[in-house]
Amino acid sequence: MHIAVLIKQVPNPDALAAVMSVDEASLKVVLPPGHPQVVSPFDEQALEAALRLRDQVGAAVKITAVTLGPDSARTALKQALSLGADDAVHIHDAALLDADSHVSAHALAAAIRKLGTIDLVLAGRQAADFDAGVVGLGVAEILGVPSVSFACGIEAVDGGVQVERVLQDGFETVQVPLPALVTISNELGEVRKPNLRETMRAARKPVAAWGAAELGLEASQLQPRSRRTRLFIPQKNTQCEFITGATAFEAGERLAQRLHDARVLG
Amino acid sequence: MPKREIEGDWVMGWPDRKRPEIAAGKDADGRVISGRTQILEQEGLITPTNNYYIVTQLDIPEPVHPDDWSLTITGEVERPLTLTIEDLRKLPGRSVRAVTECAGNDEGFFDYEKRGVSKPSRRYVPDFKRRAALKAQGVMPTNDELAGEMGNTCAMSGGEFTGVPLAEVLRRAGLKPGAQWIWMKGFDNGRPDPTMQYRSMGRSDVKVEDPGVINYDKGLPLDKALDPDTLLAWAQNGEWLMHVHGAPLRCIVPGWSGNWWVKWLSHIEVTREMPPCYHQTKYFVYGKSPDDPNKPMLTAMGVRNIITYPLDEDSPLERGSHAIRGLAWSGMGGIAKVEVSVDGGATWNEAHIEEPRERWLWVRWSYLWQVDAPGAYRILARATDVKGRLQPQTPWNYQRKHFDGIVPSDVVVE
Repeated sequence: MHIAVLIKQVPNPDALAAVMSVDEASLKVVLPPGHPQVVSPFDEQALEAALRLRDQVGAAVKITAVTLGPDSARTALKQALSLGADDAVHIHDAALLDADSHVSAHALAAAIRKLGTIDLVLAGRQAADFDAGVVGLGVAEILGVPSVSFACGIEAVDGGVQVERVLQDGFETVQVPLPALVTISNELGEVRKPNLRETMRAARKPVAAWGAAELGLEASQLQPRSRRTRLFIPQKNTQCEFITGATAFEAGERLAQRLHDARVLG
Repeated sequence: MPKREIEGDWVMGWPDRKRPEIAAGKDADGRVISGRTQILEQEGLITPTNNYYIVTQLDIPEPVHPDDWSLTITGEVERPLTLTIEDLRKLPGRSVRAVTECAGNDEGFFDYEKRGVSKPSRRYVPDFKRRAALKAQGVMPTNDELAGEMGNTCAMSGGEFTGVPLAEVLRRAGLKPGAQWIWMKGFDNGRPDPTMQYRSMGRSDVKVEDPGVINYDKGLPLDKALDPDTLLAWAQNGEWLMHVHGAPLRCIVPGWSGNWWVKWLSHIEVTREMPPCYHQTKYFVYGKSPDDPNKPMLTAMGVRNIITYPLDEDSPLERGSHAIRGLAWSGMGGIAKVEVSVDGGATWNEAHIEEPRERWLWVRWSYLWQVDAPGAYRILARATDVKGRLQPQTPWNYQRKHFDGIVPSDVVVE
């Protein structure tokens, strides 16, 4: 089984939002120099899902990490390799640096096609920067393979995979034949950490660098289909209200009522 | 008087004296590929590992986990061996304290002696960040630039190394009759950077042979290889060897310059003839000029001695007593005597050599100088090693290697 895992390097979502700003003229996020870049946590889950499939099926599972991004994105690939991916593909082209979801999906799909026979594509449910959550499913659409979203568990079954999906009010189990694409949600659970030996080995694993021309992307596939019209940091209005009462019990009762009225408590 | 100020630092949460700082060159990924620490910032005999000088002739390789590494011994041996780190650690080990010194350390003093150019300063550390950036861009230095460079003064460090004698490993492999050379090969490779040789020669108008991409290697003569202090080391200064210093295993060749201390060792081949190592036949050789047909390889260093106080920059000195201090070491064993002159070499006085006096480590020496008359003084110090060799031993050579001359401190007393 050959699994391609789509990963994206994003600004550390755990960093304080206050350090970020936006340039409203160029419609870009401005990060302070040296701001840490990490693998999008949902994509870490996708890689973890691939590694668990290998744990289940055995060494016959080959894992290829694929990313689209600038030079720095290579670090994200190194992390994937140190966690156990066998090789990696870095899609790197000036024409793709500001790719929207449509262009990104075409580039990633082209890379997967170029890799040859891919049985399964795994992606995070969304990237932890803009949280659009459409690239993964777009790749499935372009490749013409079935897709399953919001997976919290995946295991190999005869001829396909069985996926447990997270729903708003429960779980759903589906089976899908391969090839297929599955997006992984954070409910998958804790991800493994790289050890020293694999980190050292990672440096010797192959990383292919492909540009738009090598991927055979056509002009129409490089044309964005969405247009960012405004980028801004929302204003937060914080109001503070003190709930009091003659006794602690009364204060607590009033607080509960207030939260209920504000629909914080159901 | 320009007193050497104690600078402050925060160490473990406490205000403290400043620790020595390594001036490091880094690659595009921010990884250290070269470094020097001012010798004047160090105190005692052992250089902290983080301050140990770093020189590499080829590209620093990606690290290899010890569990993925092994050392092979082949060639003129009865029993070819493949040994893991754990195999090596089961052998009778040995720790050796020794000075590691770059063959080109203090090269600029050759020009000071020979051509009368201004005296290099021991406070000078080359701008390795700039050098690394120029290397990345493939920019070659010009003759004028090189003539203006001061040369290395800080490519020397003292360390304790733990490993197993190379002789022990060779004994287990069993040397065949006729075995003469121990060809040590590292897993680092790359294309030799010609600027290394340009800087060594102080000129860039000489053709430097390009061997293409090679692995670093050296062919050690058998008698030095069998010296019980010649080690295959996996530890330095009480901790596992760092990757930049050659982990998992490097060779320790006490008394011989750093180019012999092959890092990232992965293969040893025993041969009858001297192997054709680039860094033994083209670089790290003596000779009067690039065209000199006689270019013997470098071997043991001469007799080394440096004054660490006072230096020219410490002038003016106050009248009174001053402890003239320095470090001395030899390529052939311990230091027997250090003499100091405060009158430009007219008279000499024996300095006190501090214990311990180890074979391969430098010794600290001092001479208490009482100076009551203002004026200019030329302070000299010269060392004699246990073999009776008095410095200097090494004449000028075109690659400016193994400088061991007597460098005066010219000071003014007010």
